[in-house]
Amino acid sequence: MEATVKIFRFNPETDQKPHFETYTMPVESTDRVLDLLEYIKGNFDGTLSFRRSCAHGICGSDAMRINGRNYLACKALVKDVGLKIKVEPVLGLKVIKDLIVDMDPFFEHFRSVMPYFVNDEPPPAKERLQTIEERERFDDTTKCILCACCTTSCPSFWANQEYLGPAAMVNAHRFIFDSRDRAAAERLRILNDQFGVFRCHTIFNCTIACPREIEITQAIGELKNAISTGALE
Amino acid sequence: MAFGRLTGLQGMRYRGGGPMLAFLLHRVTALGIILFVGLHVLASFAMQQVIWGDFGIFINTIYESPWFQIFVIFCVLYHALNGLRIVIMDFRPGLLKYQREALWLQWFIFVPIYALTIFVVIQRALAGG
Repeated sequence: MEATVKIFRFNPETDQKPHFETYTMPVESTDRVLDLLEYIKGNFDGTLSFRRSCAHGICGSDAMRINGRNYLACKALVKDVGLKIKVEPVLGLKVIKDLIVDMDPFFEHFRSVMPYFVNDEPPPAKERLQTIEERERFDDTTKCILCACCTTSCPSFWANQEYLGPAAMVNAHRFIFDSRDRAAAERLRILNDQFGVFRCHTIFNCTIACPREIEITQAIGELKNAISTGALE
Repeated sequence: MAFGRLTGLQGMRYRGGGPMLAFLLHRVTALGIILFVGLHVLASFAMQQVIWGDFGIFINTIYESPWFQIFVIFCVLYHALNGLRIVIMDFRPGLLKYQREALWLQWFIFVPIYALTIFVVIQRALAGG
């Protein structure tokens, strides 16, 4: 069978504004959209630019809008998205070239929530122990691969790039609810900013877009609750 | 050089499913409520003026028409129920995993109340009320 792939193109050296180009190629239903992009780059137009690395849904490089919603191109199969495929860059970040966007604002927000372990207490002889229940408390949010599918699907982020975005909050959640960490209060203070958790309008685009199936809206809800009640339940 | 951020209409076309539709409808219905309140204030103001009295009556006939009432009732009822759903979920994050069911419940509450209200509005309109 054949697929028609319509791709957003923008070359900053030659184009004043972006345009779409369409390619037709033979496909299998189990092909990934990333395979199609590589086919186009190899056979039709070597200048097509997109990020990719592991190609197995782990590195989070190839987030893009496929048929109107965010996916990782390496996890979106032809049988799931159909034979008429429209590929565009994610929303809310500047387009550098074709499907490549400027991820700097995204990673600035990620860094701003202190996404690392903080504990100044003297370490025990072996290790900082945790019960199974304590580990399970933040298990879901450990799965984030920083692909930006969630943040760039969020209308609050589209409206204002200063909004921290779901990914930063997921990573804050991962440490705030870690029983070994001691900087929860500081992180909650950062999240209680005017561009923090309360800009989340419970739209669920992030949860639907997440290729790791993290319950992002729930994690943000738990952060709102922690700020409101002052308790890490 | 980079191309600007893609937002606006591009965002309106994002395929987020039911929750995204609920978000968009929440905004649209808010605009509908603002339109109604705005017309009401404008009509009240105009009718108190010596030379704009007819203009005030004209605006009155717009927002008192059955069609406008049906639109306003949709806006108010949807906005209230959707807002209530969001508030409840914000206070009880544990319920967020039932958001799909909550959306359906919202429509199950909305449809009969809205249908009944439309019935009353149309019945009164046909009776010349």
